[in-house]
Amino acid sequence: MSAVTATISEEAMNAARAKPVLADEGARLGFRLTLPAQILVLFIAVFPLLMQLYISLTDWSPLSGLGWWNAWSLWNNFANYTDLAADARFWSALKRTAIVMIVCVPAEFLLGLALATLFADEFPGKRIFYSILLTPMMVVPAVAGYMFFMLFQSGGPVNDLLSAISGMPVTIAWLSDPTLALIAVMVADIWQWTPLMFLILLAGLVGVPEDQIKAATLLGANPWQRFVTIVLPKMKTIIIIALAIRVIENFKIFDTLYIMTGGGPGVATETISVYIYKLTTQDLIWGYVAAIALATLIVLSIAAVFAMKRMAREVPA
Amino acid sequence: MSAIHLQNLVKKFGDFTALKTMDLAIADGEFMALLGPSGCGKSTTMNMIAGMEEPTSGKILFGERDMAGVPMGRRGVGFVFQNYAIFTHVTVRQNLAYGPKMRGAAKTEIDRRVGAIAEMLQLTPLLDRKADRLSVNILQRVAIGRSAIMEPAIFLLDEPLSNVDAAFRAVMRTELKQLQRQFRQTMVYVTHDQLEAMTMADRIAVMDHGVLQQVGTPLEVYNDPANVFVARFIGAPGMNLLRGRPAESDRGLVIDLGPLGVTPPLPAEIAAAVRRGRDDVFYGFRPEQATLVEGGRGLSLPITFVERIGARTIVHLGQGESAVKAVFDNDVGLAIGQTAVVAPAAQSVRVFDAATGLAMKAD
Repeated sequence: MSAVTATISEEAMNAARAKPVLADEGARLGFRLTLPAQILVLFIAVFPLLMQLYISLTDWSPLSGLGWWNAWSLWNNFANYTDLAADARFWSALKRTAIVMIVCVPAEFLLGLALATLFADEFPGKRIFYSILLTPMMVVPAVAGYMFFMLFQSGGPVNDLLSAISGMPVTIAWLSDPTLALIAVMVADIWQWTPLMFLILLAGLVGVPEDQIKAATLLGANPWQRFVTIVLPKMKTIIIIALAIRVIENFKIFDTLYIMTGGGPGVATETISVYIYKLTTQDLIWGYVAAIALATLIVLSIAAVFAMKRMAREVPA
Repeated sequence: MSAIHLQNLVKKFGDFTALKTMDLAIADGEFMALLGPSGCGKSTTMNMIAGMEEPTSGKILFGERDMAGVPMGRRGVGFVFQNYAIFTHVTVRQNLAYGPKMRGAAKTEIDRRVGAIAEMLQLTPLLDRKADRLSVNILQRVAIGRSAIMEPAIFLLDEPLSNVDAAFRAVMRTELKQLQRQFRQTMVYVTHDQLEAMTMADRIAVMDHGVLQQVGTPLEVYNDPANVFVARFIGAPGMNLLRGRPAESDRGLVIDLGPLGVTPPLPAEIAAAVRRGRDDVFYGFRPEQATLVEGGRGLSLPITFVERIGARTIVHLGQGESAVKAVFDNDVGLAIGQTAVVAPAAQSVRVFDAATGLAMKAD
């Protein structure tokens, strides 16, 4: 009896010893196989970030004649960050970016949702309208910018249309007026990105189980009640995803806007991206640019983390 | 409570006629099963009663009231969907409260009614559970409760047991029947499962190809099928039908089954009907009503297959036109290749007109 037990326990011990060795080998092989990818990630993501952090603490610029690795000799005791806090142009650019976002994203969302609701039912010519509706999304943003630049000229089609409607000659200088220029820029953004919202929300809308909508109808819910109590809650996850995509994208608004106004008149349409672009190409103060970019990244990351957490809670495992 | 009258109901989808014509009176408080194979028009009928589809022509009356143009939210029908259509994003309580809330009932009133219905359906401990992870029998009760809280005069159930495995279906059948007794509402139950229809319904409306074939109690449709379709469809296995010609003999009217020989004389009242009809008929009897006869008169056929299904044994005899099934005790000593002589019990014999398919019986 004891002999048998001994044999078994020895076998068991061998097995126990063999297992970690194997697992270890697997882990080592895995490490070796993923090493190139890990190095790549290190270089394209982590390294530039650290470099940016390093430069943001100095007065370094390409004009200084030093290699970036020698930037430590231009160490400025966090002056870039204290300057940033006091930079009125930065804060007003941030505020402007926020205003554009607060107007554009909800407008795109509501228009997209209304269109998606319309397209969830059948109507004649649906396929053609569907294709037409999606084209703005496919237009190169620079081209869209040029298009709206032309549309909003004082002798352009927008004023022609307004003249025709009002019956009086209208010659508004859209892109030269600080407020109107901002409105024109927002119109262009809404035109270009409502289709994306529409597409995502339509996908969510057709995914709402029809039986549950019928059940709600039989229980006496009117169309608005059905929309609020069944359709919207079922679309919650996809709505959060659509909003997250557009908030992040809209924060970086640049190409269309830059071609239309160049951030002007003055700084009237200058957003964060336009400001950073000007500092980089015109003022060449790269240490300061690095500080702004890092601050912006942190703000966006915090917002993104909140959105993701929310999504993780909503999406069933 | 409310009776339902369907009058000359027709439903066409483009060129396709889903329901050719339907006349059916469902009594107040009755449990009516609409039974038939897929595509027979039973779900279409149900959807028209609920108001999800408008009839192409014909009338639907609830009691005396014409339902034409009454939207589905105002018909006062409870509907239990095949997959229950529970609102999975909210709790059981919110599911039950949905109807009263949409109609603007006061909060205290909603709480009282939800409490009462939950108590009745034994859902009280589950009220605050999210509805997306409930077992299927709970889902069924929530679905019924959500409709029942509106106190509908009519309850419509669309194959609610088709997603349930066989063992559990028996439990659910019993539960459903008990609920119907509690609520005492008019219930219309759509199913393709004759066992469900037979066990639960007061009356069964058998449908095929958009035509109502027969309406009757479970025993009526089983014992006296109105036509060949019902005879084959009801019962598992269905009725045996053998083609033959009536012939007079010195013992009375018999059916000449060709190579299978001549049947025993028909009962007098059927014989009278057959004499009046055409001379191409189906001779029918239930597999359960066949007995083995040793050396006596009967149908002598080779055994082609023996299905032992536990309580009973189904023996397949003959082939093609002369195929017959018979149900015996589980320990019957028959094997493939043997020849058996079976005889139907005289009172179980039914005769159908081969041309029209209709049963031939005394008026």
